[in-house]
Amino acid sequence: MTEVDVKQKVLAANAAAAAGLRETFARAGTLVVNLISSPGSGKTTLLEKTIAALKGSLRLGGLEGDIATERDAERLRRTGIPARQILTGGSCHLDARQVERALAEEGGRLSNLDVLFIENVGNLICPTGYDLGEDFKVVLLSVTEGEDKPFKYPAIFARAAVTVVTKIDLLPYVAFDLAAVRDQVASLAPEGRLVEVSATTGAGMDAWLSILTGALAKKRAAVGATR
Amino acid sequence: MHEMGVAAEVRRIARESVADRGPGRITRVRLAVGDLAAIEPELLAYAWDALVAGTPEEGAALDVDWRPAKQTCRVCGDLPGRAPGTWLRLCPRCGGVLRVTGGDDLDVLTVVFEEDDAQRREQGGAG
Repeated sequence: MTEVDVKQKVLAANAAAAAGLRETFARAGTLVVNLISSPGSGKTTLLEKTIAALKGSLRLGGLEGDIATERDAERLRRTGIPARQILTGGSCHLDARQVERALAEEGGRLSNLDVLFIENVGNLICPTGYDLGEDFKVVLLSVTEGEDKPFKYPAIFARAAVTVVTKIDLLPYVAFDLAAVRDQVASLAPEGRLVEVSATTGAGMDAWLSILTGALAKKRAAVGATR
Repeated sequence: MHEMGVAAEVRRIARESVADRGPGRITRVRLAVGDLAAIEPELLAYAWDALVAGTPEEGAALDVDWRPAKQTCRVCGDLPGRAPGTWLRLCPRCGGVLRVTGGDDLDVLTVVFEEDDAQRREQGGAG
């Protein structure tokens, strides 16, 4: 019987692929945002409104992770931007190699973008551990889900740079304690940003959009500095 | 439930680490898992058993060393260990912001490999 020393990171293969992606995105000056939430919290709808607001001035693209169907990529394409569906076939998260493959297969269509949105599979747990080469993770929480989500799924709320509370136009109709969510998020991610939006009425969209354009400006400055 | 994917990656790494050792089987794999690695211990054990069933690794044990995250308060200093899943990032004593380090481990540490001596002798005693 032999005990073999291994000392190898389980997610090393994913980390290596993510590092490669991050380098590619940095060279192109593309801001990459990884959106994570439970199913039905409004990721695709938020993206549709975000794209409508930004596509006049920025080159945008989308990757849509789902277990089945092309529906979300079709919704993004209808807004007039290139988008590709990644079907995970039962897997509950996207990994960096899937992103790598999807981008390679799209050829030039999803390169040289200003912003690439990656919409992860609807799930608050599994996507948390998989680096996709993004600049930051965004977690969405809709007011119809209940205000205890941040403490129930702390890993993603602690790691996301931005928390977006969605569907705030429904606040009068649901028992959702916004103040409690603000407190929970502040304790999990003291340096994170929190925005409260309604894609339907447009409330709060300016704050969300300015986070994106601010991050893009910062990334471009960093890319410019190394050129 | 991404524990199945993690279990599969653990087995791939374990197999790779003993690939040049000739006939035999993996009987034990030791993993380090951090508090903040988003791994459910029970789900991982379940996934591992399901994965290895009916394969050469059937019955192999998966041992997990849990690695805590360290929480440090600027004012109060290092805090004693808190229960896994305690993610509050504010100091329970003074309310200050905590710095959290470590706890994101997810590593294969060691693999125990049992050589198949009978098969070795048949093959001419090599190894």
